[in-house]
Amino acid sequence: MSLRFRRFWVTERSLAPLLLAGLAAALLAGVAIGPFPLSLRQIGAVLGGGGEVQATTVLWNIRLPRVFAAAMVGAALAAAGATYQTAFRNPLVSPDILGVSAGAGFGAVLGILLGLPVLMIQLTGFVTGLATVALVLGLALSLRGGGQVLVMVLCGIAVGALAGAGISLVKLMADPEQQLPAITFWLMGSLAGAKRADVAAALPAIVAGLLPLVLLRWRIGLLALGDDEAKSLGVEATRLRLLIIACATLMTSAAVSMAGVVGWIGLMVPHMARLLTGPRFDRLLPAAALIGAGFMVLVDTAARSIAQMEVPLGILTAVLGAPVFVWLLARGSRGWAE
Amino acid sequence: MRHFPLTALKGAILAALTALPALAFDGRTVTDATGREVQVPANPARVLAAGPPASTLLYVLKPEAMVGWVRAPREADLPFLRPEAAALPELGQLTGKGDTLNLEVLLTATPEVIVDYGTVNDTYKDLAVRVQDQSGLPYVLIDGGFAVLPQSIRQMGDVLAVPERAETLAAYAESALAETDALLAGIPEDQRPSVYLARGPEGLETATKGSINAEIIERVGGRNVAEEGTGNLATVSPEQVQAWAPDVIITIDRDFAANVGTMPEWQGIPAVANGRVYLAPAAPFGFIDRPPSVNRLIGLKWLAHKLYPDHAKGDLRADVAGFYDLFYGVTLDEPALSALLGD
Amino acid sequence: MTPLLQARGLSVGHRGRAVLSGIDLTLEPGRVLCLLGPNGAGKTTLFRTLLGLLPPVAGEVLLDGRPLDGMPRVRVARALAHVPQALTTPFAFRALDLVLMGASAQLGPLARPGRAETARAVAAMETLGIAGLAGEEITRLSGGQRQMILIARALAQGARTIVMDEPTASLDFANRIRVGQAIRALADRGTAVILSTHDPDQAAALGDHALLVGRGRVLGDGPVRKVMTAERLSALYDIPVLRETLSGGGLHFRG
Repeated sequence: MSLRFRRFWVTERSLAPLLLAGLAAALLAGVAIGPFPLSLRQIGAVLGGGGEVQATTVLWNIRLPRVFAAAMVGAALAAAGATYQTAFRNPLVSPDILGVSAGAGFGAVLGILLGLPVLMIQLTGFVTGLATVALVLGLALSLRGGGQVLVMVLCGIAVGALAGAGISLVKLMADPEQQLPAITFWLMGSLAGAKRADVAAALPAIVAGLLPLVLLRWRIGLLALGDDEAKSLGVEATRLRLLIIACATLMTSAAVSMAGVVGWIGLMVPHMARLLTGPRFDRLLPAAALIGAGFMVLVDTAARSIAQMEVPLGILTAVLGAPVFVWLLARGSRGWAE
Repeated sequence: MRHFPLTALKGAILAALTALPALAFDGRTVTDATGREVQVPANPARVLAAGPPASTLLYVLKPEAMVGWVRAPREADLPFLRPEAAALPELGQLTGKGDTLNLEVLLTATPEVIVDYGTVNDTYKDLAVRVQDQSGLPYVLIDGGFAVLPQSIRQMGDVLAVPERAETLAAYAESALAETDALLAGIPEDQRPSVYLARGPEGLETATKGSINAEIIERVGGRNVAEEGTGNLATVSPEQVQAWAPDVIITIDRDFAANVGTMPEWQGIPAVANGRVYLAPAAPFGFIDRPPSVNRLIGLKWLAHKLYPDHAKGDLRADVAGFYDLFYGVTLDEPALSALLGD
Repeated sequence: MTPLLQARGLSVGHRGRAVLSGIDLTLEPGRVLCLLGPNGAGKTTLFRTLLGLLPPVAGEVLLDGRPLDGMPRVRVARALAHVPQALTTPFAFRALDLVLMGASAQLGPLARPGRAETARAVAAMETLGIAGLAGEEITRLSGGQRQMILIARALAQGARTIVMDEPTASLDFANRIRVGQAIRALADRGTAVILSTHDPDQAAALGDHALLVGRGRVLGDGPVRKVMTAERLSALYDIPVLRETLSGGGLHFRG
């Protein structure tokens, strides 16, 4: 049985409430589920201002910030992925294509190696993520034909490989008992330590990255036609692409510095969204962001609830993502050319 | 082809090293924890420790035979070590990645025997056999479990040819363990606290029940809240710690101990609310871990005082001073004791 | 009256090397200019230069009397629409959405198309008789149908000049007629069209003016009947060409 969505892309009017309801359900699940037993009644009491100390601490200082962080990270990664797939005209790219995750990862594990405080580790990761993409762009633009997507991507692969080598070197130098487990866990992604302060620090970067993309989403969608056609339709293609890269990098670097390296969201959620909205970017972007947020909240809820020990996010997203991806490939109508 | 000369050189060195013990052999046969019979020199003067737990055991038994440390002591540790031992070089881990032996370590150290002290499972048995075959040096593995601590001390003393010293230390170990058991006999189950072991700057890394890093908790009658898991290190969320609601938190991280009172996610946990968050002293070796070796003997007493303040007997400060004098060969004055114990 | 599009002493090519030189052309409202030439003559390169996608090797291009060089893309897009040879996007857009993209130049930078733009897109598709394809994914359509959609997009752009790169190459007989009729209708309404074609008959039927290009230079430039002589076409294509006048007055060329 093949599902034919061809004439049935959900109309814009019915889609938005549907997605918002889905996100609300995910958020509710995230707030209500967890290792600490909190009944809905207790949640109500805490929200109302009462409730005992532990329940209040768990809800306000642990669960709510963590759920919010998960939503932010999911939305950021999915939005960045959808944007890159459209702007680079390739449904198989992820936000890591220009090396931001490898760069942020390198900075953060270096911080762990040097024994920096947690806030500095996150800040270092954020900065090195940005610096890596800046390096890639500088390198690409200095080459002949550097404004082209292919050159940028190849430079991203090269610099990303260097950052990956740096990460391996740090792992080699790390104390196998004290630092290596922390490094390994960080590289697999986790929101175990998500605090209000983290959320407050990352939120501006993610909003600053997401807002221009949302505002410009019609124009960005024209890049999917190719530079020549986009320019003929009135888009300053090269400039817009640089802006997109800046915004996506800001969001992704902030997300990675907070949650570590979480794969698959940026690649897979845009495909899921494309099934619902079609490839029109002005509809795809909000849908991807909402689905990414909800998906990440659910994954993180599972990560902290299925066992006493935290399960790294990257493992869960891969375990869930790979089969879904294969299913998407198998079903035929994909929203992109066969 | 360019590798050929290098390989030949390495082969020649290995052959030479293999010949060395044969030249000076006049030793005995011991049976180690893997069940092998190993021939060791009669009075080993140059002994290489394969890992940090073995380093510590070697240091307390026969410091003059040490050729170096696996990991160099930190600045803060130096006042708590014998000066001669403190000056020894750092050699690094003997075994490198995969099957390769770190030859530079062997060449620098030229030991007569290699000792290892820790977990006895197939991996480490394999390692012992492999290293012995590759290097031609006797490799002795001794069980590092807490339960067999006195026997292990005696066994290592036998290998090192310092039986009297070993007997003194083993007797201390036996009496420390007996004291602990006696204390526990008088404390009913419901007065034994639940304990969370906090590692890392955020306190979110822990060692689960059964892991070598946390076994001292059980030995002193505490209940490690991290019961699930495979007996290893794991990461948890603050919410999980809230759910466990431990009575006591033991940490080895200075920053965490200092900040936990102000961390909003940790409020409401009984241990935090009651001020029962204890930083385990760590110079020159940790009281409860790091490494998981004989240094934990003093941790038994320290932990007993922390977990059972109303029941624990004896002067902790005097006990610590006595332990450091006997085992580590350093005399601690009052200021040093206070600095160590954080009082 | 200012011509809509002008080229003065234009040489076009890549990286400083000209493939076509000495081009002077003027496009006035309602004029249909046909570009004729063998494969590889540089027709697409010329079009890309006229659209501002490629810098000229020499000379200049003027849009509404103002130099194209340095003009913001939006202003260019409001005056100049492009029908490329083929669609290169890997995404399965719906036909209507693709046509709707043509309306972008008329919108502000943050705006999205609304009802008015959608109506214009639908009207463009109706003009070309393809309104029925509106909900279809372009990846499932034939090359000819995609071509019609690209032309509809150019119509929806509402520009006063349309540059068409071999617009009828992959079309069947009926669609070729429809496109020809649409072009004539556009010209009647004052839109200028410059199109390239392989078919001299079509050039003669559609165009007012012809520009013959080959071997790196212009081989003929002027009104269709005057310029498209048998001698010139024979020189252009390097094979003997005969010209006939049909009973209705149209021209027919054969080898």
